[in-house]
Amino acid sequence: MSELWKFLHFEEVLVEVLAAIGPLIVFFFAFQIFFLRLPRQYVKNLFKGVLLSIVGLVLFLQGVQVGFLPVGTAMGEMLGALEQKWVIIPIGFVLGFAATIAEPAVRILSYEVEKTSGGSIRARIILLTLAFGVAVFMALGMVRILFGIPILYLVAPAYILSIALLKFSNPIFTSIAFDAGGVATGPMTVTFVLATAVGIATAMEGRDPISDGFGLISLVALSPILSVMILGLFFSTKRGESR
Amino acid sequence: MSIKLKDNFIEVVMAVMPITLVVTILQVLLISLPMLVLIRFLVGSTMVMAGLTLFLQGVKIGLLPMGETIGAELPQKASLPIILLASFILGFVVTVAEPDVRVLAYQVDLVSEGEISKNILIVAVALGVAVFVCMALLRIILGFPIGYLLAIGYAVVLLFSLFTPTRFVPIAFDAGGVTTGPVTVPFILALGIGTASVLGGRSSIGDGFGLVGLASIGPILAVMILGVIYQ
Repeated sequence: MSELWKFLHFEEVLVEVLAAIGPLIVFFFAFQIFFLRLPRQYVKNLFKGVLLSIVGLVLFLQGVQVGFLPVGTAMGEMLGALEQKWVIIPIGFVLGFAATIAEPAVRILSYEVEKTSGGSIRARIILLTLAFGVAVFMALGMVRILFGIPILYLVAPAYILSIALLKFSNPIFTSIAFDAGGVATGPMTVTFVLATAVGIATAMEGRDPISDGFGLISLVALSPILSVMILGLFFSTKRGESR
Repeated sequence: MSIKLKDNFIEVVMAVMPITLVVTILQVLLISLPMLVLIRFLVGSTMVMAGLTLFLQGVKIGLLPMGETIGAELPQKASLPIILLASFILGFVVTVAEPDVRVLAYQVDLVSEGEISKNILIVAVALGVAVFVCMALLRIILGFPIGYLLAIGYAVVLLFSLFTPTRFVPIAFDAGGVTTGPVTVPFILALGIGTASVLGGRSSIGDGFGLVGLASIGPILAVMILGVIYQ
């Protein structure tokens, strides 16, 4: 058991969290004094929240360091050393789908899109489209690691496609799409999936953990942008037909 | 508050569960991690779930109202240069507080064996967000179409990537993805809505800010520039 606990460094993490949240608090105070002048009771309540965030962030970061990063890396290294390397492609697909379908931010986005479309695109369909999109991009990310394809070859076409879609997509959908970029890159993707990718790239022969291991998050961030814009495309053609 | 805490907890468990399940299935079918590593994973998962629950609750009742109040009040009470300066600082401090940014920085620090240090990366990303939040606000005030700005931003990113050392390119793109976390996004949106309603002179609903999309271009460029400096 002592093997386990020696990985915990609560004090270090606490210092780090204070350094992370501190600047925001200081800035808020300066603002409170010069501009806001909010009632004392209100500020007190805000600070309860700040306290909670500090405790929560310490636990989260410590948990990530103790559990998620080492296990993600270890799992990735085992996968990368497997005889049948192609299995990482379906695994990427499943991880992408599983991580997205349950992400609260993605569900909120789905309802937002349903509302914007006036109910003509069901939230369920949107949710599935988003999860499928992330799954495909994650699988592509694995293909990239497998063959050592530079990230630019995937990101550049995605950028160009999204800008091209700007011309055809409904403007309301466009704005939702570009603000939605972050919904799928939740704490799960950033911690576990990235660690797995780095592990795979470390273990696989001829791959560099830095230039091949990183890059997956950017793909996951681009996927909802394209998904929502393509959904918006369907919406406008649907409306065009009914005219 | 206790009910909200429960809702948060359910959300967090639902977000963490699928990954934990996939790991368990993989463990049984394909790989066999040592027992100690598995125990660490379970302990870590529990801490992550508890930590995220508390953190998100804290964000909802503490950090988020702070960011939102400043974002909404700022455009009403200050002149344009002060708004821009404050937005710059605010963009910086919320990014520094963003957990996703920190976790990416950990991994980069770890994998590069300290060559690209955690703190330098966080500062670069935060500066990138800060600059682009200001640009996004200027866009709202000037009424410049978001599409053009995104197209220009993407073009500059692709151009920059040609001059960036290859090791830094994937990290740079990833940095663009992690800035859209639970702390940064609500703040940026609040600031955008506040600015649009006061200075933009147009309805804030359906106007299409694309602020978050713009704000994620900043860190990509910042990390690419960092890469050039490192070289």
